[in-house]
Amino acid sequence: MDLRFTEEERAFRAEVRGFIDRTLPDETRARMASGRTPTKEQWGWWHGKLYERGWSVPDWAKEHGGPGWTPVQRFIFREELQQAPAPQPQQFGTMMVGPVIIAFGTDPQKRRFLSGIRSGKDWWCQGFSEPGAGSDLASLKTSAKRVDDHYIVNGQKTWTTLAHWADWIFALVRTDPNAPKKQEGIGFLLIDMKSPGITVRPIKNMAGVSHFAEVFYDDVRIPLSNVVGALDDGWRVAMTTLGFERKTAAMGLQLELSVRVEDLIALAAPRAGTATAERLADLRAEAAALRAMTYRALFRDPATASDGSLVRLHFAELSQRIHRAAMDILGPAALLGNGWTHDYLESYSETIAGGTAEIQRNIIAERILGLPREERS
Amino acid sequence: MTFDLNRSEDQRRILDAADGLLDQSYPLSRLRTSQSDDLGPLAAFGAFSLALPEETGGAGFSAVEEALVHVALGRHVVTTRALATALAARLALSLSRADLASRFADGSLAACAAVRDGDAILLFESAGTGDRAGPALLFDGRELALVEPDTARAERLPGLGHGPDVLRVADSSATVPGRTGDAGMLAAADLLVSAQLLGIAEATRDLAVAYAQVRHQFGRPIGAFQAIKHRCADMALAAEAASSLLDFAAVAVAEARADAPFQVAALRRLAARAALENARACIQIHGGIGFSAEADAHHFLKRAHLLSRLGGAPALLDLPAPLAPHRTVAERS
Repeated sequence: MDLRFTEEERAFRAEVRGFIDRTLPDETRARMASGRTPTKEQWGWWHGKLYERGWSVPDWAKEHGGPGWTPVQRFIFREELQQAPAPQPQQFGTMMVGPVIIAFGTDPQKRRFLSGIRSGKDWWCQGFSEPGAGSDLASLKTSAKRVDDHYIVNGQKTWTTLAHWADWIFALVRTDPNAPKKQEGIGFLLIDMKSPGITVRPIKNMAGVSHFAEVFYDDVRIPLSNVVGALDDGWRVAMTTLGFERKTAAMGLQLELSVRVEDLIALAAPRAGTATAERLADLRAEAAALRAMTYRALFRDPATASDGSLVRLHFAELSQRIHRAAMDILGPAALLGNGWTHDYLESYSETIAGGTAEIQRNIIAERILGLPREERS
Repeated sequence: MTFDLNRSEDQRRILDAADGLLDQSYPLSRLRTSQSDDLGPLAAFGAFSLALPEETGGAGFSAVEEALVHVALGRHVVTTRALATALAARLALSLSRADLASRFADGSLAACAAVRDGDAILLFESAGTGDRAGPALLFDGRELALVEPDTARAERLPGLGHGPDVLRVADSSATVPGRTGDAGMLAAADLLVSAQLLGIAEATRDLAVAYAQVRHQFGRPIGAFQAIKHRCADMALAAEAASSLLDFAAVAVAEARADAPFQVAALRRLAARAALENARACIQIHGGIGFSAEADAHHFLKRAHLLSRLGGAPALLDLPAPLAPHRTVAERS
């Protein structure tokens, strides 16, 4: 085991930090620092700058236009973005659908879509959840009926993050309602958001902002050439996407919570021995553990690395513990709109989005510990 | 070299050897008899001299290997005299008592663990029933002392849950060959105590999971029910968090990194909680048998209580965080 960066890696960190400091506009940095999502203009501009530098798709191999970085370099890059704080590259394209197209897409699909993801010209969103298909995602009902060389899509997706900004959506749809298992007969479709028949209705969340939306499909025509993988094999394709999400998302998140805990300690300035000091010390230790778990997930051979579900569950629940502590420490300011209370309200999504805490516990118990699966239909 | 959290071949080899020795000489089944552990097999293995420098007769391993071996000791609930003796060897060396150090290192002299109780000292699992119990390693707040208690005048107190008797001796009756508040020595002690606590957290997770797979109620293994499997998942998370942090802390100590005190202090806090929470959950998941003295679960709980009181927890908030935030509070509110 070794925790030392090489000379080259330290130089790389300095290079990334220097680029960010020279390039990142103050307004974008300030908005990020206040815990808010950057505006589309700020985010798009920044993605464009990363693209010019050759850094907009940090996880991609050179042959697909990526920088071909080592895992350590990718990690350093994301740490520096998080520390600045600067926006990450547009995530749904670079971290999710891009890798899926690289792994499963046809050559025409690669030519058509990868350059727009790299440059940031095409913004992507993800259409998985439906009103009736949350944790039980494979029960999804949005239908795709084949007519000649097209699918006709009808139905509704929901919780679609940044749908109102997106040019494209990658969606799971029911291509064969008569398949023997519900995981079969699902297709992975690339859908132009400007297609006739698509309606987007933003949903306001409990923090009072609209990150996500409902997306309605009314006789939307999609060419078969926009199916990734075999026509009815979308479930397998999608499970790969979720794997990308868990692994790469973890890189920056651990630092975000470490910084958050330090901010809270500075805010509280607790006297030694008080209950608040003990609580903050626990949170500090848990943030340090999250960091160590993330490193183990990234820098250990897969068989003994920390599992993505363990890292994800610890992150989600620690985020909520930190923000609950903040509400107690703030005093009457906990009843006002500010950065801390906003993040407190937002933190309720952490144990729901991307697989609920209950689903993560099932995964840990059944896949890591080997406990019996519960009966599911 | 670069970032790598895999165990080296050397590390795997010494761990495999330690696991083999522990399974053979210290199986959990021994806990059901009341005999105390014989330190002989561990001494022969070199467990008390692992991390001592080679020029003093040690094996010259780093804090990483030593910590990993102590995780295994914790999993087997090996007597705390093993922990005390390993630390006593190191303390004696740092106090320039090479004579004492080599006797601890080869196991010809064993120390027991002790904590302060007002103006008295409590000795745990002390070997002696006669005049002399031998030396003790006293965890005295944020100091460590090697003491020679006068056990002829000791008061014999009942141990936790009819466990081994505890000896109480007046502080003034103990001679003190040496005492230290040295940060490096305390970090070594915190690391090994934490490693044993992690061993408890891992072993109780594994015991609970194994039981949940074989115990049937309502026509299925109880581990099929979310009420049980989710508690097992929490145990897995607690153990994984402490284990990841142990790697970090041990490597930080071995590489003498600036953030070593921070990592060790964070680990000490987390490992104690993981051990106690997992030991409690292990009893609950075993149900009625878990409450009985015939199952092994209670040994882990009692050991977790003892270990978590060895040494005051380091003040984590007083240490600089390895990552100073670039942002200020003013920017956030």
